[in-house]
Amino acid sequence: MRHARIMFDGRELDIDIAADDTITTSEGEVLNVALDSDAITWLPPVKTPGTIFALGINYADHATELAFEPPKEPLIFIKHANCLTGHKQVSYRPDNIDYQHYECELVAVIGKRGKNIKREDALEYVAGYTVCNDFAIRDYLENYYRPNLRVKSRDSLLPMGPWIVDTADIPDANALKLTTTVNGKVTQDGSTRDMIFNVPFIIEYLSKIMTLNPGDMICTGTPHGIVDCQPGDTIVCTIEDVCSLETRMVSEQEYYGDKY
Amino acid sequence: MTAKTLVNSKLVCVALNDKAQLAALEGTFNEAPYNKPPTQPVLYYKPHNTWSVNGADVEWAKDFDGNDVAAMAVGASLGVVIGKETCRVSTEEALNYVGGYTLVSDYSLPEESYYRPDIKGKCLDGSAPVGPEIVAADKIAAPDALSVTISVNGERKSTFPLTQMQRSVAELISTISYIMTLQPGEVIAVGFAGKRVALAKGDKVEASIEGVGTLSNTLGGA
Repeated sequence: MRHARIMFDGRELDIDIAADDTITTSEGEVLNVALDSDAITWLPPVKTPGTIFALGINYADHATELAFEPPKEPLIFIKHANCLTGHKQVSYRPDNIDYQHYECELVAVIGKRGKNIKREDALEYVAGYTVCNDFAIRDYLENYYRPNLRVKSRDSLLPMGPWIVDTADIPDANALKLTTTVNGKVTQDGSTRDMIFNVPFIIEYLSKIMTLNPGDMICTGTPHGIVDCQPGDTIVCTIEDVCSLETRMVSEQEYYGDKY
Repeated sequence: MTAKTLVNSKLVCVALNDKAQLAALEGTFNEAPYNKPPTQPVLYYKPHNTWSVNGADVEWAKDFDGNDVAAMAVGASLGVVIGKETCRVSTEEALNYVGGYTLVSDYSLPEESYYRPDIKGKCLDGSAPVGPEIVAADKIAAPDALSVTISVNGERKSTFPLTQMQRSVAELISTISYIMTLQPGEVIAVGFAGKRVALAKGDKVEASIEGVGTLSNTLGGA
C-alpha cells in the first residue's frame, strides 16, 4: 500500500493508494480522480515531520566525484520541515550562485520509537520508503559543520514524495534502480545497491546516539551524476518500485514573491 | 521530546560566536580541514529528541560500546523565541520579530572539531533544556547587553557578556531568516561562551541571565 497527503477539492486529505491506483481517504471515501490529475496538489508525505537526517557522500562513486575518500563512519546532517515541499511543487535557485545540484535519494520513514536498535531488527522501525531531492548549493559550502545549514537547510530545497510505500512492499531497499532526469534527459543513473551505509546500519548507528521517533526521516544519500540546475528546469527523481518525484526550479524572486 | 518543551518545531544554535574563542582558534582555522576562518555564522540544530525543560535530569551519555563517556560539557545561551513568521528580514527590523527570550543549555560531548556536523556530540536525548519560561520581548530593552552565567554546584564557572559575541542578536536573526523562514515559537540560541564548562556526574548546573531567569538541571548517573 502507498500513503500520501494531498489537497483536493479544497480539502487536506490523508490518502491510501491501492495497487490499481484507487485513492481512498482516511475517512473511507473513494476519490474519483486519477493519480496524475492536476486537480491533486501533493503535500510532503509525512504528516508530522520529526527530525530529518540526511547522509553525505554515502555512495562510493559520488564520494569520488566530490574528491573525498569514502567515509569510515556515516556523515550525517540534519534538516527541518522548512525545507520540505511536495511532488510537482517548486524549489528555488538563489541569485548569484554558480552551482546548485539535485540529489535523488531513498528516504526511510521511521514508524516506531526506539533507542539502541540492532541492525537485524531495524526494518521493524521503518514505516516505509519514499523519495527526496536533497538539493545543495555548492557555492555556500564552508568547512564548519559541513555541509553547513546555508547549503542544506533552505526553504523548499527538500522536495519529497509523492507517497510512502510500506516497508513490506519493498523486499530489498538496496536493489533499486535510481535515476534522475533534467528536462527529460537522464543525468543520474545508479542503484541503491552502491550505498555505503544501508538503512539498517544507519538506524543502528543513530539509535546508539539518540532515540528515533515516528515521523523522523533518513535521507540516504545520492550516487554519481549531479549537474547544475537552472530556473525553468524540470527535475524528476525516480527510485524503482517507490516513486517518481517531479520538481520545477524557479528563481529566488519568483519563489519569494512579495518577500523577495 | 519532552511534552512541555517551550520549543516549537526548531532549535537553531550558533557556534563560534565568541570573539575571544574565534581569536584563539584563528591559527587552527587557517589550517586543514578548515583552511580559512568562517565567513558566515556557524549553525547547528538540537533536534526534537534533545528538547527538555527546567528541572529535568540530563542523562550522562554512553559511548558506542554502551559505557559511560569520559567527559561531558555544557554551554548556555540566550534563547531568542520567534514571535511571528520571519522571512528575509533586515538587521534593523529583526528585533520586531522576537516574541520573547529564554535560556538554552546545550549539554554535549566536549567540542573537539567543528568540521563535520556533530551528531554524536550534540544530539543526545534531553540534552537541550530550554526555560524556565519565556519572558516577553518588551521586558528586555537590549538583548545584546545581557550576560549569561553558568554555575555548577553553586560555584560560578562561566560568565559571557553578549557584547563579546561576534554577531549580534539582530544580525543573526536577519542572516538566518535569509536561509530559512522561521516560525513562531522557534528558538535561536545566539551564542555560547567559547570555553564550555566541563561536568561530572551528579553536577547541578544553573544557567542564568538577569531578567530572563535561571535554568536548572542535574546531570544523572551519580
